[in-house]
Amino acid sequence: MAGDHTLSGLAVPEGLDELHDLLEQVGVQHPDVSPADLMLFETAVIEIAGNVVEHGRPPGGVHWKFSIQVRPDRIEATLADDGMAFEDARVLADASMPDADAEDGRGFAMASQVLDELSYERRGSANLWAMVRRRS
Amino acid sequence: MELEKQVDGQVAVLRCSGRLNMGAAGRLRAAVDETVADGVRRIVVDLSETSFVDSSGLGALVGGLKSARQAGGDLRIAAAPEQVRTVLALTNLDRVLTPHQTVEDAHRGW
Repeated sequence: MAGDHTLSGLAVPEGLDELHDLLEQVGVQHPDVSPADLMLFETAVIEIAGNVVEHGRPPGGVHWKFSIQVRPDRIEATLADDGMAFEDARVLADASMPDADAEDGRGFAMASQVLDELSYERRGSANLWAMVRRRS
Repeated sequence: MELEKQVDGQVAVLRCSGRLNMGAAGRLRAAVDETVADGVRRIVVDLSETSFVDSSGLGALVGGLKSARQAGGDLRIAAAPEQVRTVLALTNLDRVLTPHQTVEDAHRGW
């Protein structure tokens, strides 16, 4: 379908660069999407994907598939990975911003703030993250 | 990300070019710590060529700020592009890491 872009690979730091590159292409192919919307969406995608890179098990051995769709009213994406189940889904429900002197723990709070919908589910042997941002 | 360091007297400028993300945050943090250990406690992080920062990169800036302050110095950021400024505001970190317009502005008062 027009407007769909996908990427498969390993959940490793280099994989994050591939996601950045894909999102850049999305911007080129959809000049109607506001750069601010795309920039905020990219910020969220990289936080969610970065969490998989950092906490996915087995480390370095998790495969993912990313898919992004540009709709007239929204941008939506899914990130599916074959790692072990993400066990701390509660952090999603309580993604508050840590204090200024914290050196970590901001990723989910940042993603939640710039997305209209963010969800996680374990489906079969996969972790499935869904992200939606309504276009401004 | 590419990291360049320039030391001018008592001030070091660390210039981060590219994406300040998970793969790069550790290098920035190490560079700050090394600079402080060398006795240069006033640090400007030049973000003019930083295309993107994520939470790991923010963590490195906060960690660097703490290192510099614990040594009696400070860390300031300069020339942050829009994505960086947006993320700093989103996380309320713009209160402790005030973005200065230019590297020269960040030097002011030192």
